[in-house]
Amino acid sequence: MTLELELRGITKRYPGVLANDAVDLAVRPAQIHAIVGENGAGKTTLMSLLYGLFPPDEGEIFIRGEPVRFSSALDAIAAGLGMVHQSFKLFPTLSVADNVVFRHEPTRRGLIDRAASAARVRDLADRYGLAVDPEAAVEDLAVGVLQRVEILKALYRDAQVLILDEPTAVLTPQERDQLFEVIRRLRDAGRTILFITHKLGEVMAISDRVTVLRNGRAVAHLVTAETNPAEITLHMTGRAVDLDRRAPEHDPDQLVLEVSNLTVRGGHGRPVVEDASFGVRSGEIVGIAGVAGNGQSELIEALCGLRETDAGSVTLSGRDISDADVAERRAAGLAYIPEDRYGVGTTRQASVSENLLMGHQRQPRIQQKGWFDREAVVGLTRRLVEVFGIKVGSVSGPVSNLSGGNLQKVVVAREMEHGTALLIAEQPTRGLDIGAIEFVHSQLIAYRDQGGAVLMVSAELSEILALSTRILVMFEGRIVASLDPRRVAEPEIGLYMTGAHTEAAVA
Amino acid sequence: MDELRSLSQRALVSPVTFSLLFAFALAAAIVAITGGDPLAAGEEMFTGAVTGSGLRNTLGRAIPIIGMALAVSIAFRSGIINLGGEGQMVIGGLAGTIVAIYLPGPGFLIVPTAMVAGAVVGALWAMLPAYGQTKLRLPILITSLLLNYVARAITGYLVRFPLSDVSVTLATTRQVPETARMPKMPIFGGVSLSLILVILLVVLLWLVYTRTVVGYETQMAGFNMRSARYGGIDVEQRTVQVMVVGGAIGGLIGTHLIIGEALRFIDGELVLSGFAWTGLLVALLAVNRPIPIFVTGLFFSGLQIGGLAMQRNAGVSWRLSQVLQAVVIVAVACRLAIRRSDRPTAEAGETEAAGLGEV
Ligand SMILES: Nc1ncnc2c1ncn2[C@@H]1O[C@H](COP(=O)(O)OP(=O)(O)OP(=O)(O)O)[C@@H](O)[C@H]1O
Ligand SMILES: [Mg+2]
Repeated sequence: MTLELELRGITKRYPGVLANDAVDLAVRPAQIHAIVGENGAGKTTLMSLLYGLFPPDEGEIFIRGEPVRFSSALDAIAAGLGMVHQSFKLFPTLSVADNVVFRHEPTRRGLIDRAASAARVRDLADRYGLAVDPEAAVEDLAVGVLQRVEILKALYRDAQVLILDEPTAVLTPQERDQLFEVIRRLRDAGRTILFITHKLGEVMAISDRVTVLRNGRAVAHLVTAETNPAEITLHMTGRAVDLDRRAPEHDPDQLVLEVSNLTVRGGHGRPVVEDASFGVRSGEIVGIAGVAGNGQSELIEALCGLRETDAGSVTLSGRDISDADVAERRAAGLAYIPEDRYGVGTTRQASVSENLLMGHQRQPRIQQKGWFDREAVVGLTRRLVEVFGIKVGSVSGPVSNLSGGNLQKVVVAREMEHGTALLIAEQPTRGLDIGAIEFVHSQLIAYRDQGGAVLMVSAELSEILALSTRILVMFEGRIVASLDPRRVAEPEIGLYMTGAHTEAAVA
Repeated sequence: MDELRSLSQRALVSPVTFSLLFAFALAAAIVAITGGDPLAAGEEMFTGAVTGSGLRNTLGRAIPIIGMALAVSIAFRSGIINLGGEGQMVIGGLAGTIVAIYLPGPGFLIVPTAMVAGAVVGALWAMLPAYGQTKLRLPILITSLLLNYVARAITGYLVRFPLSDVSVTLATTRQVPETARMPKMPIFGGVSLSLILVILLVVLLWLVYTRTVVGYETQMAGFNMRSARYGGIDVEQRTVQVMVVGGAIGGLIGTHLIIGEALRFIDGELVLSGFAWTGLLVALLAVNRPIPIFVTGLFFSGLQIGGLAMQRNAGVSWRLSQVLQAVVIVAVACRLAIRRSDRPTAEAGETEAAGLGEV
């Protein structure tokens, strides 16, 4: 049987980092091949090399037995490769169809034939069960749909091999199941899928084979049916990891955050958060569950001062901060890990240390009378990199050199360092490997045990169940339930999340 | 030692070095094709710019170029496109002139007072577009540009009527009295004292950018507004602050140009000088960094002064130096663009432009 794809001895060095170290990879046709590994193990680098974004320092690539040498992604596309990146690359103001046919527009008498392109895109979407409206403007779409557009783009260019870099990290469980349906259909139609993920459940559910990367080396090639999550974990980390730990009991204390009757309106005047009331006490982790898009992001932005509120009040440690700006709220004792680490949490053009400094720049130990204490800045950077094990070549290098998971660590480390009374953590472990998830979880628990109040939003029900002292469920902008994680099971939360169950909101 | 080597390596591959070589080669070719002697022309240009009175003129001309570059770069660094440098310079310049002409008193008081008045009025003028953006959501890019025309009209009216010097046929103010002029220093054949001011500004801005919280915050806001806001930076307040400081420097330079150089505020002359726009180009080329702005500003000034000498002594039109200036700009821009597009994340043109940002 000829291999669809083969990599031999692929090596890629960055200053101070060996991102890929003589990696071999053999992928059979019409299979779903998972690539797993810790943050910074070299997964994205390997896929980028394969996709022609930059050349490997050493090694060879074969496609259906033929050696190839790509000088750009265009060559890779011509050879039948398609890639959906960790961060999407679409034109926001154009329609779905325009984005999909970009550079390959069907024409009629020399002009772009928009009707034909919409029809072709619809055709393609129907064939693989990708629900999208070809005429919709991309900027109006949810993340899950954007991803389908990216997949369509690759299929439109007739990709035989589809590379998906952490496709599920940004999806809700429902969207993820739909994606898996699509992937299976593609495989059954003879296409090959390379699938990067940190979630071993997904590996077991969907892949045919698995390759494990560790510190840039391919340490194991496994057949999914013949392995198990424990074995894969052992290959990834060299140790056993236990995530299924329930938070130990802890007595919550005084009220740190109090939200009463908070209402926030969206751009269209409709309330996106309606009459939300709840509190978070010191020594507890309150988890907000909900299907993405039910007002969680807006609620959090309003709490942090990044979005105007219409009614209601917010009290932090006894101080009314309803009208305070971001700096005042931060000074009053609030730190925030935002869900959008690329656009909000970090600044791509700035260095790692400048990013670690953000939000700390006005603290008395960092500056005196507006002048930075350079040693203190270096000390802060060094400590955070060390404690959180951020894998970085140089702290003065651009933060955009970091792998996705290490970027998330930058944000988490920086915000936890504030040691504020309240920590708001939105999708705190998105894109992290299991070792790092375990670490962040233990940090959140330690934060709580030291008397911190934590408000957490997560798309991972398992995370909410594992950490929360109390669970709030949001549906259509309202808090529809306040539940005790010890007395509730996943399916029941699911019913609240979809609006099938309702209960008077409890503060 | 290693540092030196890497520095020289960087200089070799730097887009600026490349562009300069390219521009000079092109200029030499033009001179040769049109029957001139490129070496002689180059020599005249060089000696004309750095020897004798040429050096004084180069330094003198560099003052407003560097000053205006600093003025706009402050806003550019924090992502605010301030195209109103000209208006801030003109209106501040007239304010300073009025003080210099009409305020009685000894020179050592009048000159600083005039400079301060120019700075204050330039700053106030720059506050208009700043508040327009923060309070009314009118983009600074547009309002600051349009206000240039308003500034021209206002100053034009004032020097034509209330402030007009009726003894001459020009639309101009009276001459700045002897005592109220910016003194010249007894070096390089008499360079304006304002050179010291510009050097101090360069050093000050460099310190602010590299060592202070304000410098950090403006830079981060320039990179990513959303992230800056999230980090607790008051972006609106920063917008007003950088506009005010930029406007103040514009007003200082405008005042210097009258009380240190022209001695009369003649309608339209500051606009025609083009310093605001040359400064803007310098700021762009130097990517808003103070020390590169200083070097680039000197270089542009030298080109212009040297060009005049070349015309005088080698019979080659001074316009060649304008061509040189333009080619340097285009070449640097191209090189920067190429460098950006061969970053590994860029995928055959489909990416950077596309940026739905990272979702
Ligand atoms: N352009 C670059 N310059 C320098 N180092 C880089 C660059 N890109 C990646 N690296 C480094 O190479 C290593 C591998 O990065 P890569 O992005 O491949 O990791 P990954 O396995 O995809 O991780 P994650 O799961 O966190 O996304 C990391 O240590 C990263 O810091
Ligand atoms: Mg990655």
